Amino acid sequence: MKVLYSWLRDFVDVPDGPAEVGRRLSLRGLALEGVDPAPAGDVPPGAAPVPDDAVLDFDVTANRPDCLSVVGIAREVATVYDLPLEQPSAEARGHLRLAALRQVERDSFGVRLDAPALCPRFAGAAASVRVQASPGWVQRRLHAMGVRPISNVVDITNYVMLELGQPMHAFDQARLAGDTIVVREARPGESIVTLDGKTRTLIPPQLVVADAERAAAVGGVMGGLDSEVSAATTRIVFEAAWWLPSSVRATSRALALKTEASTRFERGADRELQARAVARACALLDVVGAGTPDGTLVDAIAMAHTPVVLRLSHAHVEGLLGMPVPAAEVERILRALGFVVGAGAGAAGWQVTVPSWRPDVARPEDLIEEVGRHHGFEHLPATFPSVHQAPPLSDRRIPRDAAARRTMLALGFSEAISFAFVEESAAAPFAGGAPMVALANPLSETFAVMRPSVLPGVVDAVSHNRRHGRRDVRVFEIATAFRQDGERRSLAAAWTGEAGTDHWSGGRRDVDFFDIKGTAEQVGLGLGSEITLQAAERPYLVPGRAASLHVADRPVGVCGQLAPAVADARGIPRDDVYVLELDLDAVAPAAAGGARRIAPLPRYPAIVRDVSLLVDDALSAAAVRDTIRRAAPATLVSVREFDRYQGRGVPAGKVSVSLRLTFRADDRTLTDDEAAAAVAAVVSAAQRDLGAEQR
Amino acid sequence: MPLDDLSRLVAEHDAAFDAALADLDALPPAARAPALDALKIGWTGRKSGRIADLMAQLPTLAAADRKAFGQRVNTLKQRVEQALAEREALVAATRRPAGAVDITLPGRAPQLGHRHPLSLVRDEVQAIFTRLGYQVLEGPEIEDDWHNFEALNMHADHPARDMQDTMYLAQPLSARAEPAAPKRPTAAKAGPQALTLLRTHTSAMQIRHMEQHDPPVRLVAIGPVYRRDSLDLTHTPMFHQCEGLVVGPGITLAHLKGTLLAMAESLFGAGTSVRFRPSFFPYTEPSAEVDVRCIRCSGAGCAVCKQTGWLEILGSGMVHPAVFEAVGYDPGAVTGFAFGMGLERVAMLKWDVGDIRLFYENDLRFLEQFSR
Repeated sequence: MKVLYSWLRDFVDVPDGPAEVGRRLSLRGLALEGVDPAPAGDVPPGAAPVPDDAVLDFDVTANRPDCLSVVGIAREVATVYDLPLEQPSAEARGHLRLAALRQVERDSFGVRLDAPALCPRFAGAAASVRVQASPGWVQRRLHAMGVRPISNVVDITNYVMLELGQPMHAFDQARLAGDTIVVREARPGESIVTLDGKTRTLIPPQLVVADAERAAAVGGVMGGLDSEVSAATTRIVFEAAWWLPSSVRATSRALALKTEASTRFERGADRELQARAVARACALLDVVGAGTPDGTLVDAIAMAHTPVVLRLSHAHVEGLLGMPVPAAEVERILRALGFVVGAGAGAAGWQVTVPSWRPDVARPEDLIEEVGRHHGFEHLPATFPSVHQAPPLSDRRIPRDAAARRTMLALGFSEAISFAFVEESAAAPFAGGAPMVALANPLSETFAVMRPSVLPGVVDAVSHNRRHGRRDVRVFEIATAFRQDGERRSLAAAWTGEAGTDHWSGGRRDVDFFDIKGTAEQVGLGLGSEITLQAAERPYLVPGRAASLHVADRPVGVCGQLAPAVADARGIPRDDVYVLELDLDAVAPAAAGGARRIAPLPRYPAIVRDVSLLVDDALSAAAVRDTIRRAAPATLVSVREFDRYQGRGVPAGKVSVSLRLTFRADDRTLTDDEAAAAVAAVVSAAQRDLGAEQR
Repeated sequence: MPLDDLSRLVAEHDAAFDAALADLDALPPAARAPALDALKIGWTGRKSGRIADLMAQLPTLAAADRKAFGQRVNTLKQRVEQALAEREALVAATRRPAGAVDITLPGRAPQLGHRHPLSLVRDEVQAIFTRLGYQVLEGPEIEDDWHNFEALNMHADHPARDMQDTMYLAQPLSARAEPAAPKRPTAAKAGPQALTLLRTHTSAMQIRHMEQHDPPVRLVAIGPVYRRDSLDLTHTPMFHQCEGLVVGPGITLAHLKGTLLAMAESLFGAGTSVRFRPSFFPYTEPSAEVDVRCIRCSGAGCAVCKQTGWLEILGSGMVHPAVFEAVGYDPGAVTGFAFGMGLERVAMLKWDVGDIRLFYENDLRFLEQFSR
């Protein structure tokens, strides 16, 4: 809301200049967006020019339609500075006059309200006019506040709107059929050409101001072209009505037509300003020499306004704010803002009547806000609420996710955060054929669906970094994956390029399947779960280099090499990318925690024996291990591959596998003979069951 | 050979040695060893060294000249030996002891990942409020109308519900299984509600929590939220919010100020001050925007704070009685404060990041500037 400083001074004799006034209002609820130079030009007749005049631009919050006017802002200024607020009145002189109109049932026109709930009040007055340009001072004031001057009559309606906050309209009386103005719901399909030249088709319950034949204005939104005031106009009818905010909002939205009038009405105009606004417009006709009002007012009131009356106790004020505010100060502030405050701050509290221009005030708390902001939030002490109980536990997912994050960071992955919505084509491979959660109104097609997996984000992170010259990328993200049946917390990771530590002392090695497998296992261990793998197929993974992940036979995720077609579609150059996704809610259902028993340290030493076997290279390592475990005595504590060799000395189709066996007993030191017997049993089982040869 | 010719020969050797010495000295000390060895063999070698060659000329001289020539060659020899000994000492001084390593070679550093700045800010905020006795909550990102709008006093025609501002699902999802039925009667329509939208604020979690728990309440809810804002320097359609809520008998606006001051001091350093500016939110009354003293200029005025000396960091206020009524709390018995802060905003201020989009590009050149 732009407001001209010198116009404010019509109503409040503020001692400070525009910048300081703006700064002080900013701390009282009207945020100053900027101070612009005022346009040069005339001042009202008899008024002195204001030096350093300026246009103050305030960000008026949606709850304060009263501040979409000069008088509304002047009232705030008067309250801040504890100064009297002047208002246009019948007694005022010069350009601040208010016409004294005689109220009549009907004059050259009458008013009928057919939709009293949506338009309970309509005030009008007729006048004879000479349409021409407005004087310079009116044009300057309109310009300063962002309204284009049109003609003296139209400018007066806008002047009153800017000054008092009541949108108005002027009809060319000669263009109105019949002598009764009717406010009614539009007929289905009824059309009207509005002032902007566009044909609007209306439906009930949208409201129109109509003559005997047709719609002459869209109620509360915009006038009609046919009854527009033109250079040829000699008789006019001023309109000032009150429209139900929700009705204007609906119509404005349906017609995609937002005007200065609709903005004020949909937030809630002053419920009782209509007659005053008409009287002000009539006075201005005289002030600017635009014509002569008939001197009568037709004020149709279908439903009278009942003011809101509240009870406010002093204890409530201080109790909610947490600071002392003297009772006299409470009364001063509320009265300055136009509230009627009954006497006495006793136990029952004040009786406070809310002014008709404050639709936002409906509860005592709303009054307390008025008191608090004008007394000044800077007086608030900084205190602490007392604690009477231990805080309940935080969301269990937080420490779990933090543990997974620690593991990933330690394994060299940097943390990524991506948008939760992705392009449909990027998401589709990861959806597993299930319908995705799509948005009705995405910002763009690149954000069309909620990710069914967190992988698309880390894949795009690889793509971004590869395209910016990074060969080695390790990233992970812990975030939500969205499916029709709910939200899952997921950990996704992607790894391309260097696998180990890039160092002058050793050759580099690129990431392979066993790096990503080890990563998955480590995250699992960090969460207290042992992860096992099973061969699997996924459309986004290279066949034969893909595995599903399991905890105690429960599927918890997937890992493997990203299919080149998927990588290519996201702009990743021809490099191997390995990916991993873990459903954290499945790995460690947030119920984890609690005590776990730690095994006592072994009392007797272990014996380690290495065995090398030549086996068929199609035989899985798991099969070899299983055979060994079955054949070995209970003293076998671990069996681990430490070498695999194919090449010179190993026949084609075979592989040499070296395994390290560790034996230990809980009750004695094992002897070499026992170890030798155990190894012999293992080797013979391998020979018998696997066709292995010992090397 | 006449003595004069030999004298000239010795003088040429003198000059040649000086030149060779100069070449040696031009090398870096650590690289002189091989050149020094070559010089030593070339000049002082017993069989083919240049001084030995000179001495071999002695028999060709007349006997009377031999003494003078011998003296000249000896002088040269002493000079050569002394110069080489000096250089050897120098080279020896630069040589490492046996088994030593070149400590200037790069170390072998296992790669460690870097934290995302938003994750760091989140941890910091969590730590602050955990220390103050709050519980930290997360919540669903797909919400229903009741929890995101209606219960927060944002009724059917509230502008924020517009398709321009809120992202809606193409097909509503059936209501999720709630952990338990609300603890007490609330103003919600009977029965579970379809999930229709991406939550526009973490305030939805306020409602979820209060429906399930009696006062007192002391929580922060952290996570991503969604608004239909186009990407620019300061807007992204997804961002992260931290919501705070304290409810109990006698909670005041002054408590909010003390709490936010404590948070600001933890986030931005001791001595930070906060300023409350009256504002408007449908779910708080009174409402306030909260500024902190500019952390770049300490209030003197700079480009970051647009010369105001203050930086807006969050919106806050006293919980609106309508919100308490919606969840079935008695507004006559309890009051509460609430605040909502954007983590991106805090991160941008803390690290002077000028473009919010950097948080979502996952560029390692950006991420690697943050700690582990």
